[in-house]
Amino acid sequence: MANIAAQRIKREFKEVIKSEEVAKCAIKLELVDDNYTELRGEIAGPPDTAYEGGNFLLEIKVPETYPFNPPKVRFMTRIWHPNISSVTGAICLDILKDQWAAAMTLRTVLLSLQALLSAAEPDDPQDAVVARQYKENLEMFKLTARHWTNVYAGGPNVNPECDEKIKRLIDMGIEEHQARVALSSYNWDLERATEQLFS
Amino acid sequence: MFRFIASFFTKLIQMMLQVLSSKKHIIHNLLSIYVKTSGGQTVCLDIDPKCDVSHIKKLVAPQINLQPDELKIIFAGKELADDYVIEECDLGQQSILHVVKIKSPKLNEVFRCSTPKANLSPLTESLDYSTFSSEDENTEKPLERKAHFYVYCPNCKGLKQGKLRVRCHFCKSGAFTVHSDPQDWSHVLQPKQITGTCENDPEYCQELLQNCEPTFAEFYFKCSEHVSLGECDQAVPLDLIRPNLRHIPCLACLDVPETMFTFPCQKDHIACLDCFRSYCLSKLLERQFWQHPEHGYTLACPNGCLNSFIREIHHFRLLDDDNYDRYQRFATEEFVLRSGGLLCPQPGCGMGILAEPDCTRITCQQCKYVFCRNCLQGFHIGPCDPVEPSLDAQGNCDVDLNCPVVEDPSRTTIKVITKPCPSCKTPTERDGGCMHMICTRSGCQFHWCWVCQTEWTRECMADHWFA
Repeated sequence: MANIAAQRIKREFKEVIKSEEVAKCAIKLELVDDNYTELRGEIAGPPDTAYEGGNFLLEIKVPETYPFNPPKVRFMTRIWHPNISSVTGAICLDILKDQWAAAMTLRTVLLSLQALLSAAEPDDPQDAVVARQYKENLEMFKLTARHWTNVYAGGPNVNPECDEKIKRLIDMGIEEHQARVALSSYNWDLERATEQLFS
Repeated sequence: MFRFIASFFTKLIQMMLQVLSSKKHIIHNLLSIYVKTSGGQTVCLDIDPKCDVSHIKKLVAPQINLQPDELKIIFAGKELADDYVIEECDLGQQSILHVVKIKSPKLNEVFRCSTPKANLSPLTESLDYSTFSSEDENTEKPLERKAHFYVYCPNCKGLKQGKLRVRCHFCKSGAFTVHSDPQDWSHVLQPKQITGTCENDPEYCQELLQNCEPTFAEFYFKCSEHVSLGECDQAVPLDLIRPNLRHIPCLACLDVPETMFTFPCQKDHIACLDCFRSYCLSKLLERQFWQHPEHGYTLACPNGCLNSFIREIHHFRLLDDDNYDRYQRFATEEFVLRSGGLLCPQPGCGMGILAEPDCTRITCQQCKYVFCRNCLQGFHIGPCDPVEPSLDAQGNCDVDLNCPVVEDPSRTTIKVITKPCPSCKTPTERDGGCMHMICTRSGCQFHWCWVCQTEWTRECMADHWFA
């Protein structure tokens, strides 16, 4: 059984390498091991979104029953998005679950994830906190997502105000990422974030 | 002198050729066939496959006291014309030809002249695979004109090439000629699609039907890879396995196979046989087959196409013996559970039991275990033991695993880490994500809440979606 999965991934790997998206640096795919069961994907943040300019790494694990079951995909780069867990990087996307079809490929998965970054589905969230912010305060959501893209995915938009607030919490002895999560969850309200961290 | 040498050499060459050709003649295997008469007499013949049908008539006629031109030879739903070479008729060893007496030779002469030759060719010659697939006119015709059918042969126990045969729907006699060739699979697989003439005893069949409907052909398949064991030796047609004439790539491994499994969907999704086997096996081990009310325990196209269930479940014979046994066991279990029955909880038994709805004391007929219908534990009087190990919302186990009751450890583990689906009671494990559960059992797909253990509601969403 594993033979079919490996054979298929081999072909798909070639397909991705030759694709025009790779030529445009929109997606990337690398092998992690020699037996084609684990791969590393990379997608560029789509233009005109909060993720523009960032590069997001993905962990792709191919099950033995591929392509009859979907690959297991997770964001390795931290990201602020309603359908992606800010803690684990787990993705809520129908094609990676019950809507998977055997004709789909790693290329279509990478492109679908890129599309998910341009069009979130806040009604089917993976991260409840992010989803609430997305629905209640879209501007704040965009600011936060842009900041995370800058810090974790190499995005160009530095936000001195955010950095300043995080620095204040670090000075109080809080770890940097923990500080960022608390501030992000409380719409960058320093007082409430501090309260939550010390409660 | 020169002339003499030349003629000598020509003679020599001719002689050598003769020797060679006669040797070639000897090499030919004789075909052993049976010829069955309408009177029930069977004549056994050993013939050269290169001879034609008129030769057979000459051999048979004296044995049944008739003239060769009074005979009509019928095979696979067609009368064979005199000039047909036996080799081209797809006859195997021990095949049965049917011979009937022409009612009035003179009349038949007139009739025969008006019949186009095509109608006198054997069925397998007039049918090629393109008539059995929805291919457009532009595609190249296959070089080999013979139809390739695939069957599951119960004798050889496996996937084999098959051959199409015809008999009378009513008296089951093979002395039957069809009025038209079947044009697609439905004509062959569904009964009473093609009419014909029963040549065995037309009056008998007409009388049987009281002239209210025409005599119909009945198509059936035989395995072409073993010597025929007689008229009862049949095989199940696997109509979804076909030659890949259009060179479609397999949807899983992307190779272009010679023989393909065609999923019954609108989009022509195909798989090579190895990938089809893998697909069946992976879905079988995950218990993701569907219990279809008409077709049975089956699968649909792996691309999720609508209404693409496999109808002929003998296609799952492509699984190896152990897994086919497993397939049959799962199918039976699914059927028993869906019919309101239950399975004996004794390890290693699992007997299916259909009991009266209000009966709670169940005795397994197989292992004699007596158990309570509601809690599936040994039978007891009074209410079931309410203390069952379960997880709280945080996933912590609230039961002492060292409890004195001796139990099957895997059963204890299942109890500890799972909760039953509120709809189908399938033990379900939550391995992360939110509290919104969707039952993965095929045919259930119930949406439920891990915390409340009831149907998923907007209240669950507002209150404890993630914790």
